Amino acid sequence: MSSQTATNVGRFGPRDRESFFDAQRRNRRATWRMSFFCFIAALSMGIPLTLLLSPLIYAVLLIGAEIYNYYSPLPREFWLQVENLARLAQRVGNFIFNHKPIDPQSAILGSLVLFLPGILLSILLWLTVLTLFRRGGVGGALLNLSARQPSQSDLKELQLADVIQEMAIAAGVPAPQVRLVDGAGANAAAIGTGIDDAQIVISRRLLDVLSREELEGVLAHLIASVGNGDLRIAFTVTSIFEAYGLIETLINSPFGPKARSTIWHILRYAFLRSKDSRAREAEIVAGLLAGNVGLASDDIDHFFQSGSSKPSIIRKVLNFVFLPILITNLAIRLILWFFSTAALEPAVALLWRTRQYLADAGAVQLTRDADGLASALRKLNQQNSSVPGGGWASHLFIVSPGRSDRMQETDPSPEAMQRFATAWASSAGSTATVAGHWKAGDLKTEIGSVRYAAMQGDPGAIARLYAFGQAMAAAEGGTLPFKMPDPADVVAARNGDAAAIARLQPLIAQEYAGRQSQPQEEKQNGLQADGFVSFHPPLKRRLVRLERMGARISLPDASGSSRTIRIIVSVFLAPLITLVVAVILMLIAAMSMLSLLLLALWLGAMHGIFSLLAHH
Amino acid sequence: MDIPIVVIAFILAFVLFLVWMIVAFNGLVRMRNRVRNGWSDIDVQLARRHDLVPNLVETAKGYMQHERSVLDEVTQARSQAVVPTANIPQRALAEASLTGALSRFFVQVENYPNLRAAENMQLLQEQLTSTENRIAFARQHYNDEVMNYNTARLSFPRNILAGIFGLAPATMFAADPNDRERVEVQLSSSSRP
Repeated sequence: MSSQTATNVGRFGPRDRESFFDAQRRNRRATWRMSFFCFIAALSMGIPLTLLLSPLIYAVLLIGAEIYNYYSPLPREFWLQVENLARLAQRVGNFIFNHKPIDPQSAILGSLVLFLPGILLSILLWLTVLTLFRRGGVGGALLNLSARQPSQSDLKELQLADVIQEMAIAAGVPAPQVRLVDGAGANAAAIGTGIDDAQIVISRRLLDVLSREELEGVLAHLIASVGNGDLRIAFTVTSIFEAYGLIETLINSPFGPKARSTIWHILRYAFLRSKDSRAREAEIVAGLLAGNVGLASDDIDHFFQSGSSKPSIIRKVLNFVFLPILITNLAIRLILWFFSTAALEPAVALLWRTRQYLADAGAVQLTRDADGLASALRKLNQQNSSVPGGGWASHLFIVSPGRSDRMQETDPSPEAMQRFATAWASSAGSTATVAGHWKAGDLKTEIGSVRYAAMQGDPGAIARLYAFGQAMAAAEGGTLPFKMPDPADVVAARNGDAAAIARLQPLIAQEYAGRQSQPQEEKQNGLQADGFVSFHPPLKRRLVRLERMGARISLPDASGSSRTIRIIVSVFLAPLITLVVAVILMLIAAMSMLSLLLLALWLGAMHGIFSLLAHH
Repeated sequence: MDIPIVVIAFILAFVLFLVWMIVAFNGLVRMRNRVRNGWSDIDVQLARRHDLVPNLVETAKGYMQHERSVLDEVTQARSQAVVPTANIPQRALAEASLTGALSRFFVQVENYPNLRAAENMQLLQEQLTSTENRIAFARQHYNDEVMNYNTARLSFPRNILAGIFGLAPATMFAADPNDRERVEVQLSSSSRP
């Protein structure tokens, strides 16, 4: 599929045409292929993981049995069985490490005993995640408090509601609900669990940027995506990551507050029914879980490093008790990090890309107009496209929302900011002194939203701005961090006064520039954070495909030299990457073996301690 | 106990055939119902247009004192289109004449900048644009479904099934020549940004 594109990019003259039906068929086939790769990747991650998990489960069970045995002795047969199991493990270990021959029966039994508990636990955890988060679907975090319904009196928003209806009619599906978010980024996403409860989250800015045809293209893409069942796919995929995150969290839970608070979140989510924000909460918990996959979670390191230079005796005992788990934990973390970065995430990203291409082709089928979507994609890629809350769900957006911090604005001095904050507070009529905790970002966001409301003609907001302007003038009469629009102009502009509109234009432009410069409040975690393959197809490939479906766009042909460079670089990089991968794999293998060995020794020591205790 | 293996295979094949028949037949029926549903969707959108027209005329009346004839034409065409009739060609004709009247009306609107700028008028125009689009998209969806259904109905081996159970082919909703005329006018007069 990609090779086809590559040959087309380099060709002179008209490119091959492809009907949107053919394109959809092709992408559906590609989905199957990619699903297979995802399955392989998930499996390749699961095998070493279960290899480490099973002994851990045995260890926990055994310790439980030892403690139980201490108070009321277990029957002799039980310990005989345990011994048999240990012998079996020894034989398997001998086969692996010392290449001693092993009879096939015990080999099969041994691998079954080794893998089955881990597999069962993984599946159990996965099912837990599936049932926990099924109702929320994906993307609930986007529905924050500021999401609102389109207004009936605003022409652009009315148009949005109309276009959604039109596209739903074209697709023959019930029209999804729509929620608007105000902000500087122009982007749109579909969220929910399926076609029946899908919601479209769209930023108000997008409506200002795009024409009706382009809006049609964007919404057709989203509705086609929902109609193709992408939400279900996204949910399944994220649930796999979340299940791995849950494993990681459970292993970390004896050591650190972060993992424990995550588990607390999960329990609260599972047993307390708060109806209003359920989808959002599900997404937060899911984000916490998925954020635990990788090398970033550090509870366990804190546990072993914390404390004074002279640890207490209890501390030492605890350290000894948990030492094998530390090694296992490190091995599991390494496995999760390596396989999710190198195998699972790229596979999932490529799968998701084929879904995006499929939805693009579906959009062309719905609108019969490849130009609208093509020009919309172009515009959105040049725009700031960040949306609050979009970090975790960025794959659901039509264009990648991770391009917010291109412009950083320096904040005014603290003193100026303080005066500013006091003036702002006094304009609200509050006499409370403003403490220094005012963060410049918070204040700007608040003022920005009031100014935005004022520009929309909200009389309360206009009055507030008037008061603020006067307070500011009284305080210093100096420069304001931003220019104030004259509220009278705003009102006049609403009534169609051309001169007032002209006066306001530069201020509105500045408004958006100011909003753009706000740093994104949450850091990205989860799927996209450290993946090196983007979940969004490159703009150029999308445009090439749209052009083949009839979009009239002029694409620059890929120059031969850049491709030569790419080939040379990959020729040099390929052995290097192979080497690194081999080293990491060997490291994983070594750590796994070490952790198994340590665990076995540790179990032996524990057994000795307990038997000593029992004899006394 | 000693049933020959041929008989077992035969019974198995028959059961498989039955299962296939049920699945294939249900698939065809589902497609046919989608076609019918698509047809009723077009009706819904046409009715929406009928509901919009009186508002439109009411809004325009104050501004267009000298263009009574255009407004009357729109009103009349609407009242003809609203009359329920089972005669599809006659209905299509009435709808086409309403479309024509509306397009002439919007050409006239161009001459009244005040009317064009009136907020109410803009909203109405957006609604009408949307309704025209909805009718077009409903037709397009209907035609897509008809194509799916007809392809499935005619392709082997389901065509045998369709023949046995008498599933008739569906007909596409062809655009009439008047519509093309409308499209051109629509572009010049619409409120598209």
